Amino acid sequence: MNPLIPIPDAIPVAWGWFEFLLLLTFPLHFVCMNMLLGFSGISLFARLRGDDTSRRLAFELARVLPFLVAFTVNFGVAPLLFNQVLYGQFLYVSSILMGAFWLAVIPLLIFAYYAIYLYDFRFRSLGRCGALFIGLALLAVLLIAFIFTNNMSLALDPLRWTAYFRNASGTLLNTGDPTLFPRFLHFAVGGFAIGALAVAVFARFWRQRDPQVAERASGIGMWMFTYLTMAQILLGMWFLMALPREIMLIFMGRNLLATGVFVVALALALVVLVTGLRRQVGWTAGLTFVLLFLMVVMRDLARIAYHAPFFRAESLQVIPQYSPMVMFFIVLAAGLACIAWMLWQVRASYKKA
Amino acid sequence: MNYPVWHLPDIGGSTLIALIAIVHVFVSHFAVGGGLYLVLAERKGMREQNPDILSFTRGHCKFFLLVTMVFGGLTGVGIWFIISLVQPAGTSLLIHNFVFGWATEWVFFLVEIVALFIYFYTFDRMDRRPHLIIGWIYFVAAWCSLFLINGIIDFMLTPGQWLIDHDFWSGFFNPTFWPSLVFRTFVAVMMAGLYAYVTCAWQKNQGLKIAMTRFSGKWVLIALAGAVPSGFWYLSQLPQPARTLVDGASPTIVRALDWGLYAVIAILLISLIFTVIMPVLHNRVTALVVLACGLLFTGSFEWTREAARRPYVVNEVMYSNGIRKGEVDDINRQGFLGSARWVRIREFHEESLLEIGQDLFKNQCHACHTVGGFNNDIVARTANFNYPAMMTYLETLHQKRYFMPPFVGTPDEMRALATWIVTGLHGKPSEAAGAQAAIGSGEGPGGALFRNNCIFCHDSGLIKTKTAGWSSERVRSALDKLSALNPAMPDYAGSATEKDQLAAFILSLNAAGSTVPATADDAGETVFEAHCAMCHGLAEGGNPLLPKVAGWSRQRIRAALDMLEQLQPAMPPMEATSEEKDSLAAFLHQQSQGGQP
Repeated sequence: MNPLIPIPDAIPVAWGWFEFLLLLTFPLHFVCMNMLLGFSGISLFARLRGDDTSRRLAFELARVLPFLVAFTVNFGVAPLLFNQVLYGQFLYVSSILMGAFWLAVIPLLIFAYYAIYLYDFRFRSLGRCGALFIGLALLAVLLIAFIFTNNMSLALDPLRWTAYFRNASGTLLNTGDPTLFPRFLHFAVGGFAIGALAVAVFARFWRQRDPQVAERASGIGMWMFTYLTMAQILLGMWFLMALPREIMLIFMGRNLLATGVFVVALALALVVLVTGLRRQVGWTAGLTFVLLFLMVVMRDLARIAYHAPFFRAESLQVIPQYSPMVMFFIVLAAGLACIAWMLWQVRASYKKA
Repeated sequence: MNYPVWHLPDIGGSTLIALIAIVHVFVSHFAVGGGLYLVLAERKGMREQNPDILSFTRGHCKFFLLVTMVFGGLTGVGIWFIISLVQPAGTSLLIHNFVFGWATEWVFFLVEIVALFIYFYTFDRMDRRPHLIIGWIYFVAAWCSLFLINGIIDFMLTPGQWLIDHDFWSGFFNPTFWPSLVFRTFVAVMMAGLYAYVTCAWQKNQGLKIAMTRFSGKWVLIALAGAVPSGFWYLSQLPQPARTLVDGASPTIVRALDWGLYAVIAILLISLIFTVIMPVLHNRVTALVVLACGLLFTGSFEWTREAARRPYVVNEVMYSNGIRKGEVDDINRQGFLGSARWVRIREFHEESLLEIGQDLFKNQCHACHTVGGFNNDIVARTANFNYPAMMTYLETLHQKRYFMPPFVGTPDEMRALATWIVTGLHGKPSEAAGAQAAIGSGEGPGGALFRNNCIFCHDSGLIKTKTAGWSSERVRSALDKLSALNPAMPDYAGSATEKDQLAAFILSLNAAGSTVPATADDAGETVFEAHCAMCHGLAEGGNPLLPKVAGWSRQRIRAALDMLEQLQPAMPPMEATSEEKDSLAAFLHQQSQGGQP
């Protein structure tokens, strides 16, 4: 047992509920975050190209971006909450060790959000200067991703925590971890790839209104998705090789579930490459969503393996009280019904128009 | 002690929490009340069939979206981040006990986002009736968020029955839940009006500007009428130690409440004059001034609520340094070093006294104290202490000053902390060498009482000066009511015999043969602290006095003290004796000359 790991607090329901909720909500955050990267990247690229179709495409993407920031944040809150319930004793420590960077996420995000709104609301009047705003917003988002990668990897490895005794001012990064850069690139490049695929999916909504924009969006989106996915497979291999041997081996036969998920995910990655090259947007999107979910499961299995020498979620003390969870599920159901009703009203208003 | 401490000697984590929390609360209450404002303004536009009001509402909605969803939403996440960095143990306790409360709040947050986006982006597209319903959905979801967060925040102040049964619902519906909810709801409505002043001030259509300014003014005044009594209801529900702090035992709370009162008065007057009676006078300056008053009011309330909870982060459960009250006895037996996880040295060694002391400071004191920083600086606050005084102070920390947590650990560990502060920070000798200088020779029982009760704030030289020429009766009767000498000084709770012994010691300081050197008289400084420091700093801080009297003669300062209300209408006349004014004039003059008499 590592003496630096804090004693965890008791949980109110069996740990599996939190694992379930974590796996349920994290992919939503992942999709929105990837879309934010892809939409920002392609909008920047299109804004810089300058021809009329690209400019219109950049604008269509700009209009979606504020929604993506809002939902990336909102869908990030739930998994961060459930993560803290199960693994807070790791995450709080790693956050404190890099406190200055971790807290910087908030001003960076506020900056990116306002830059994106400015880019959207002042798209025409800003002209090509708009590229500067979306470029800076994208840079801020990538910085946030790098900070998150540092924190999440540091939380996995309590042996690195002794660095605190040399520097307690919250300015540590986890750069000594060989998985840091492949991990970051794996998530960032993957994010751009899936975001680009989402642009191709969105192109369908623009087909009637502006066929040229739809065609351009679909073309760029599928092209980026395909080639970034090729790079992503290589980056994934680098990431896998950089993992500590004990962790890597769970995907190489030592753990049946982890190996199975890994093999299926690899096969699916090859399949979406083929469907991507054939420009089959629907199939590619559907299969990629499944692939993304498998990646989330793999990430979770890797975390469990990292923590195995120190901690198992099953060992958390449970002081049972289920009624608040019932309240949560009732409110969740009512909230989703309410959202569905509101979206239906939007649809009706557009149909009427 | 379960978690590492983010070491920020200059600023301190608590300052960061306060900054982020105050701006967030200022915006988040607007996010609740503003939703109601939007739907009622839209309904007003519909009923009056006034497209200008609808256009105003749409414009205000854009402002609302950019302020609440971006800044409000993200600073809300920011609070979560900063408390987990500065108070990880407290955050973990709140997260684990109320996880489904937070999760439910997340659902309302999601509904809020969707509703607000739809409300804004379909303002002129959707039929008015469903559009209004979506506005109402936003408001109800935002208020439900307030409902949930209110329960958890108030749990920290008044955990109530939870202390016995650890039940989610007992903690949530705690003794201050309802008064706080009612108070915050009124504040949210008031904030809606305050923020609307901004949109009103930027209107070009004069008729619309007047109509909506008056409409907004009524919101503020009605909400204020509800907020004031519900605020008193809230205060009346505070548990006793917190009530005592709010009632005057804590000078910082008294100052915060004063500022809050000034802010409320300013909001009331500006709203009455510039928005209800003469809305034509309302302009961008008044809008921003009254908004600043709203921020001041929020800061005052939040500061008071947080400060009244001291020394706990969760009342009666966990101290503000993350140590659980229930663990104190065990840690005192086993030692802090053996119990804590994030200390450099795990066993006490005489050779490592300073390192151990520094770690103890970080783990037990740094939650509230900076080291040479601007907020609650430990260096400035312990400048008068010598080693024995520091030891005595640490032994009785929580008893002497309720709002400070007790020192937790063994006597050896306490020595280490005292050594680090006295020797490590101030370079003074440790152990017994410093004792004589502070209390003089021939201590006796009175001297011991002085060391145990008085020396934290004044050394014997200062008391010698202050009591020069006093009769024994005057010294003895003063000890019966110390707060009459200075309201900030707590009354001495000793027995009559102890008071006699203490009086004898104080008298001996001015007796022939006393070796205690007198400290320069600072009666003027005492008057300054009692009468001026609420509103003025001396050389720096808020509204400093010295720049105002720079170059003035002592006579001119003295004359000004008799006519403060004429110099500045906002200042009350100085209610002090002529001697006190003389002392103050001498003190200010001396300070303005760089401290030279």
